[in-house]
Amino acid sequence: MVFLIVSPFLAAVLAAWFAGRYPHRAGWLAFWPAVLTVLFGIELQRTAASGGRLLEFPWAPSLGLSFSFNLDGLGLLFAILIAGVGTLIVLYASRYLGGHSQAGRFYASLFAFMGAMLGVVLSDNILTLFVFWELTGFTSFLLIGFEHERPAARAAALQALIVTGGGGLALLAAGVLLTDVSGTASLSAMAAERAFIVASPFYGAIAGLVLLAAFTKSAQVPFHFWLPNAMEAPTPVSAYLHSATMVKAGVYLIARMTPILGATPMWTTAVTVAGAATMVIGAYRAVQEIDLKRILAYSTLSALGVLTMLLGIGTSHTIVAALVYLVAHAGYKGALFLVAGAIDHETGTRDITLLTGLRRAMPITAVAGGAAAISMAGVPLTLGFVGKDATYEALLHANGWSPWLLILIVLASILLGLAGLLAGVLPFRGNVALVKDVHEPPWPLWLPPLVLAAGGLLVGLAPAILNGPLSAAATATAGVPVDVSLSVWHGVTPTLLLSVLTLAGVGITVAMRGPLRMRSWNPRAGSEDVYRGALAGLDAVSRVIGPTLHSASLRTYVMVIVTTVVVLGGTALLLDPSFGFAVPLTNITVHDVLIVFLIIAGAISAVVARSTMSAVLSLGTVGYGVAMIFLSFGAPDLAMTQFSVETLTVLIYVLVFRHFRELGPLSPRLVRVRDALIATGVGTFIGGLVLSIATTETAPRLREYFAEFGPTLGRGRNIVNVILVDFRAFDTLGEITVLATAAIGVRGLVRFAASDRRNGSRVSPITSPIFRTGARLLMPLLLLFSVFLLLRGHNQPGGGFVGGLVAAAAFALYAIAFGVSRARRALWVRPLTLLGVGLLLALASGLVAVLRGRPFLTASWFPGPVALGTPALFDVGVFLVVVGVVLMMIFSLAEDS
Amino acid sequence: MEGLLALASGVLYAAGIYLILRRRLAQLIIGLGLLSNGTNLLIFAAGGLTRARPPVVPDGANALMDRYADPVPQALVLTAIVIGFGLLAFSLVLAHRVHATAGSDDIDDVGRER
Amino acid sequence: MRLLVLPILVPLTTAAVLILAPKRPNPQRWISLIGSVLLLTSAVLVFLRVNAAGVQVLQISAWPAPFGITLVADLFAAFLVVAVGLVGTAVAGVTFSGLDPRREAFGYHPLVQILLMGVAGAFLTGDLFNLYVWFEVMLVASFVLLALNRTRAQMDAAFKYVAINLIASSIFLTALGLLYGATGTLNMAHLARVWPTMSTSGFDTVLAVLFLIAFSIKAGLFPLFFWLPASYHTPPAAIGAVFAGLLTKVGVYALVRVFTLLFHNAPPPLFTLLLVMSAATMVIGLVAALYERDFRRVLSFNLVGHIGYTTASLSLLTPAALAGAIFYVLHHIVVITNLFLVSSVLLRLRRTTDRAGLGGIYRDHPVFSVLAMVPLFSLAGVPPLSGFLGKLAILKGTFDAGAYWVGGLVLVVGLLTLLSMGRTWADTFWRPADTADLAAPGMPSLIVIAALSLVTLAMTIGAEPLFELVSRGAQQLLHRDEYVNAVLGGLR
Repeated sequence: MVFLIVSPFLAAVLAAWFAGRYPHRAGWLAFWPAVLTVLFGIELQRTAASGGRLLEFPWAPSLGLSFSFNLDGLGLLFAILIAGVGTLIVLYASRYLGGHSQAGRFYASLFAFMGAMLGVVLSDNILTLFVFWELTGFTSFLLIGFEHERPAARAAALQALIVTGGGGLALLAAGVLLTDVSGTASLSAMAAERAFIVASPFYGAIAGLVLLAAFTKSAQVPFHFWLPNAMEAPTPVSAYLHSATMVKAGVYLIARMTPILGATPMWTTAVTVAGAATMVIGAYRAVQEIDLKRILAYSTLSALGVLTMLLGIGTSHTIVAALVYLVAHAGYKGALFLVAGAIDHETGTRDITLLTGLRRAMPITAVAGGAAAISMAGVPLTLGFVGKDATYEALLHANGWSPWLLILIVLASILLGLAGLLAGVLPFRGNVALVKDVHEPPWPLWLPPLVLAAGGLLVGLAPAILNGPLSAAATATAGVPVDVSLSVWHGVTPTLLLSVLTLAGVGITVAMRGPLRMRSWNPRAGSEDVYRGALAGLDAVSRVIGPTLHSASLRTYVMVIVTTVVVLGGTALLLDPSFGFAVPLTNITVHDVLIVFLIIAGAISAVVARSTMSAVLSLGTVGYGVAMIFLSFGAPDLAMTQFSVETLTVLIYVLVFRHFRELGPLSPRLVRVRDALIATGVGTFIGGLVLSIATTETAPRLREYFAEFGPTLGRGRNIVNVILVDFRAFDTLGEITVLATAAIGVRGLVRFAASDRRNGSRVSPITSPIFRTGARLLMPLLLLFSVFLLLRGHNQPGGGFVGGLVAAAAFALYAIAFGVSRARRALWVRPLTLLGVGLLLALASGLVAVLRGRPFLTASWFPGPVALGTPALFDVGVFLVVVGVVLMMIFSLAEDS
Repeated sequence: MEGLLALASGVLYAAGIYLILRRRLAQLIIGLGLLSNGTNLLIFAAGGLTRARPPVVPDGANALMDRYADPVPQALVLTAIVIGFGLLAFSLVLAHRVHATAGSDDIDDVGRER
Repeated sequence: MRLLVLPILVPLTTAAVLILAPKRPNPQRWISLIGSVLLLTSAVLVFLRVNAAGVQVLQISAWPAPFGITLVADLFAAFLVVAVGLVGTAVAGVTFSGLDPRREAFGYHPLVQILLMGVAGAFLTGDLFNLYVWFEVMLVASFVLLALNRTRAQMDAAFKYVAINLIASSIFLTALGLLYGATGTLNMAHLARVWPTMSTSGFDTVLAVLFLIAFSIKAGLFPLFFWLPASYHTPPAAIGAVFAGLLTKVGVYALVRVFTLLFHNAPPPLFTLLLVMSAATMVIGLVAALYERDFRRVLSFNLVGHIGYTTASLSLLTPAALAGAIFYVLHHIVVITNLFLVSSVLLRLRRTTDRAGLGGIYRDHPVFSVLAMVPLFSLAGVPPLSGFLGKLAILKGTFDAGAYWVGGLVLVVGLLTLLSMGRTWADTFWRPADTADLAAPGMPSLIVIAALSLVTLAMTIGAEPLFELVSRGAQQLLHRDEYVNAVLGGLR
């Protein structure tokens, strides 16, 4: 059975293929829903006799999701409607669409919708119900937008998606809340927890959210505006979704939730009022329209209002009345929509001012239309009459609501009857056919409406057929057993008088329909305007935010970041009571003061510099000062590296900055002052942090270990180097990767611009012979020195980095003296190759360990007195990478012309 | 001494940030360089200062004695210096390319279509 | 677990091979693809091991933690590394449809591999400074990928990206230096153990704030996220896919790791701050998305907004909320990567992703359109796709933690996403076009998009096992002992 319920989804896939291949034979697809209808009918009979049953198929229990279905009267009643009307629609659509090229897509969406709708009405798990609910909205979106080349269709589809989607999300929230409050996600089990739920503080929110979902789906005021616009869909879609099934989903939800959430003042009032308002507004607007489908759309709206109102009142009488009305409405409204579609198909218009006298040309269709119309008007012996009868009867007995509602519904019924006649009788009446060349549509177009209309008549004659199914449905809704007994004649009762009154009213309005329309009153603004306004508001806001976000200047971004740091960091600092400074530990020497002074002076000079050269030199000064600090405080490796890197940086800056102009200030003074203040704030913040941290003793956890095991297990005396190539070699590996990538980037940038050649200045070598001789002498010395540094690095200050930098400096010197091309030749291999080899060497040194079954980068040592092992290899790799990187950069930049 | 270094790093950060906020490409790059130096100084200082006793085990000994400079921040700073150098060199060249493509060294102008 | 280093070494080796290999497109693309598939395989192996045997650890260089560098994989990290492999394979596959030859000649492929290496390294490392190093690897690769461009707009975007990220790195490094000064260790598990027992004279909150800011910049949270939409729409869409799919998630991962391991005892206002930042990100990101008329820009803003979902859940720090966060991250990676790849196809078809140049795609390419529907509407949260499941998980998490307004905001933003995606669909695929196709979509791209859509669908079908795994991952994150003990072995 579970398979049957989800079978339409599979059918959708099949239909996509089948209808795509054989669009003219698509009517055969109606076979499956027909089967489903029968099966559901059988199940309903069984249920009527022995109560509903539950089926379960797990999906994601941890999230509360499961495919559980409750086959009870209410669900099955709807299911039969869905499958039954669906059968007729598929048949109808096959001819209505003709051999449409997109038929596959159409049927796929239609069947998917059918499956989703069945899921909604049969689902027992509220979260899965939401899944199906949203799917109906989504497939409806696809179907309304079927003729997506038309902007109106797209707009309407989007509108429906958003409005019902929003409601759907409300349902999701309600579902999660309900699951939390009641402890179960099963709707049938929730009913038992009703008292608990109603008493919970979340009741209001839950009920409100559920009603929001129901009202948006069933187009209750104030969410009604999307329904008439949805008429942009092809008529079969309008008939199926927007009159018989999808819009009824909200009504279904209200019915399903009544035993769980209903019968409280809040619920009753909200639902009844909304329903009544919709009923009236819908009926009123229905008779104003001249497009057949819009007339029917508004009348559907009104009918939905009736159903909602009745369910809102919530007595067993009104519930039964609602169910009867539901069935009747499905019959006559579906028929009328299909008739309208047939008329449109044959005449090409839906304008009732142009449509008269069609009965000669389309007799069978006329019969269908007429039968449906009289059912809608509530003529005795039709199911529509039974429905109206039950409604009046129920309202008469509803204390507290009558007579107001009664008056309203009579008025609405009168107008609805008129609407039905306008749609179903008027186009056929009269002798003059304004539209020429009309024929009877093919049988798939008149048979479905005929079946529906005839059904309304036949069942109207013997309504007792429905007793069983409706009892089952009503029981499920009301939560208490309800017995339904319908009959055609109750005797002369006030109800009958009301019905007669209604019919009389219909007759009068038919006669007066001309003057009636001229007195129409359309409100200036409706809720659709609220919707439009909300969207426009959103767009306006986003138009303000958008440009700010994506084309603001970089400086704004930086400003925000820096300000955030200062504000948040400062706040955190100030709010923390334990923040403080310890006593400075280290003494100050004059030497240090001078160096710090140098650094500060350099920084300030960089700030106020007017030429790039002075700025670069100031930066260099700062760098050298920092290097000297390193030297003073026991970091010789660091100092050497810093010196070399700083020199290199200055060199590269000089190579690049020769293209830049002067550095005078561009921003107005006020801006500069502001920036200076912020910068000072940052500086103060950082300074405070440094002072505090520097004066607290750092736990010796790591350094003690390294100090102890560096010389022994690490086989090196220069602990820093041992850390770099052994303990934390992985960091170094990443570091040389960064270097390599940066170098590739620099080279790429320079060469990428090769075709955008601008007049640059090629760096010309310094040709002075003294310089050249000096360079020739220095270079091999430097190279030797670099190797020396490399080799001794493990035990004395030195190492791969510094060595590599010195070696690169040697070649750079050569390049300055003799030009880049000669330097390249002297190097003999390409820098890229050096880089690659270095990386591979580093990698390989790590893999040696893997071959020995140890973790990557574990040091392996050759036996013997001299400590030679993979860390040395690694260092060589680093050396080569550094040389390659630096030279790649320098050569590319120097050649850039 | 910690105070002096705190002052120095604070000044470097401030100067760096100020330059980054300027409108000229070149100043931004220099600012990044100052910031980088400031950060390195910060890491070095935060780890604790020990005067002139590098973490190098002298010949004959088998472990470091008494007070010695913490090798860990040194290793970290060294890595940071090298990485910083790579990134800064790249940004520099990128700035140059931007300058060449845009024809202006005003950051506010760079993205604007002519 | 020895294999733990593979997800880092494989892309490095691939990159090295690519640098040495001939520069013609075909060998480059095939080597990339094979390398990426190997990466994915090693990631899956790691994941299976973690799933079976708990948190996995590898001490690089065989030095015990916390003295050497440790690689750690818990479920969360393992999931993310698999995602890296997936995205890498997808992006490598797409290049078969064609790539700008100049870009390809200048090292596109090895650069992507290095980027993947950096991301994998970031996810797997157990050492904070090592995290910084991998961040930089990842960043420099992304810098170069972004910078190899011609147009002014692209240059501008690249430059902004570079500058902002360098500043973020500085903030990270600052915080790191201060942290070492305060604690004397860099190993995350070690820090988790010693941090609560230390009185660090007022630093807890400040450091937490600095890390928060540094990682929020990378993740793209308000008010630090402005750079993201300004740059993500400019590179060729395959690169955009990697950026959007992975780079921001590294920021999110770092936030998760740091706040569950170290700063879980930080004062509540900090978490409220994160929550507020996330909420603002969600709303602003989506509202701004509505303004955009360019497909990729719409995606960038949606990307930004949805990051907020994850970080908001993170800030609640409950098992249910974290489970939702992890689920959402995984869903988001797959869907956003897929959408950027869709945009790459659109680029190929029409040479632009601006609204004016698009339209009529459905009519001309129905199969492609149906495939594109999956990620598009999954992002919007249409059930039963992964977006819905993720949203449900987050909703449960937020309601469970009592943060109802956050849950409500999640739904409202979900509606805005639905609006954004619905409009995009209507404008791009349904609306009739004024222009015609300039090229074919490229079968390899379509295959990759189909594969990723299948992954999204698989998340729906396998929702239960996935959620169960994710919940376990969340438990691992919140109960630090398993992580800490695996690394430190109960010593010290």
